Amino acid sequence: MSFQEKNITVSLVNFILILGVYIIRVFQMIQGGSFNSTNVFRLWGIVIALAILVTVFATILTHIVSNIIQAIKTREEPVIEDIADERDKLIDLRGTKITYFVSSIGVFLSMLTFALGQPPLVMFTLLIFFGVVAQIIGDISRLYLYRRGF
Amino acid sequence: MGKSRIRNNIRKLRFFHDEMTQQQLAEKVGVTRQTIIAMEQEKYSPSLELAFRIARVFDVPLEEVFTYDAEAESK
Repeated sequence: MSFQEKNITVSLVNFILILGVYIIRVFQMIQGGSFNSTNVFRLWGIVIALAILVTVFATILTHIVSNIIQAIKTREEPVIEDIADERDKLIDLRGTKITYFVSSIGVFLSMLTFALGQPPLVMFTLLIFFGVVAQIIGDISRLYLYRRGF
Repeated sequence: MGKSRIRNNIRKLRFFHDEMTQQQLAEKVGVTRQTIIAMEQEKYSPSLELAFRIARVFDVPLEEVFTYDAEAESK
């Protein structure tokens, strides 16, 4: 698995976990009757902070651990392929395009709920949900392009 | 996506250049080894610039490294 693929896998796992936490928290709020703007925006903050911090730390940790394992296995200085070449950039571009596409559909659907008479809180809850889903689909498509060929 | 219409002789040329490794070629042309693997498996068509850089490493004209499979296009 290349450097880029490891990065994407780490990001994918993180965003799946974040989505899980988000869905569980939203359902807990709805069932507990605490689905209000203060709690929803606090959850927004937590999700965004988790998305940034966990992804950065998990990526660093994964590379340190994988380089140590590689060094132990081969007993040589690990080769770090941390450059992004033209293929990596093209795959990333495709992934970003898919992420934006899914995100746009998500924004449209979220707005639609508001237009159909749902409270704005539902729209904001769906916005971040679709944002995370778009990131997950983008990461899956990047991994697919690395595996299938591009 | 999938198989490209661009065919190449990179594997053969590496063999005739003292069994040059994929890593060595990757370093010479400034890409990752994964990209060389993808090209050899014809899963990736390089940019024109990269194609020229590869031909230059092997010191052969571009057409000796890459060919276009017109038959695949008509299929």
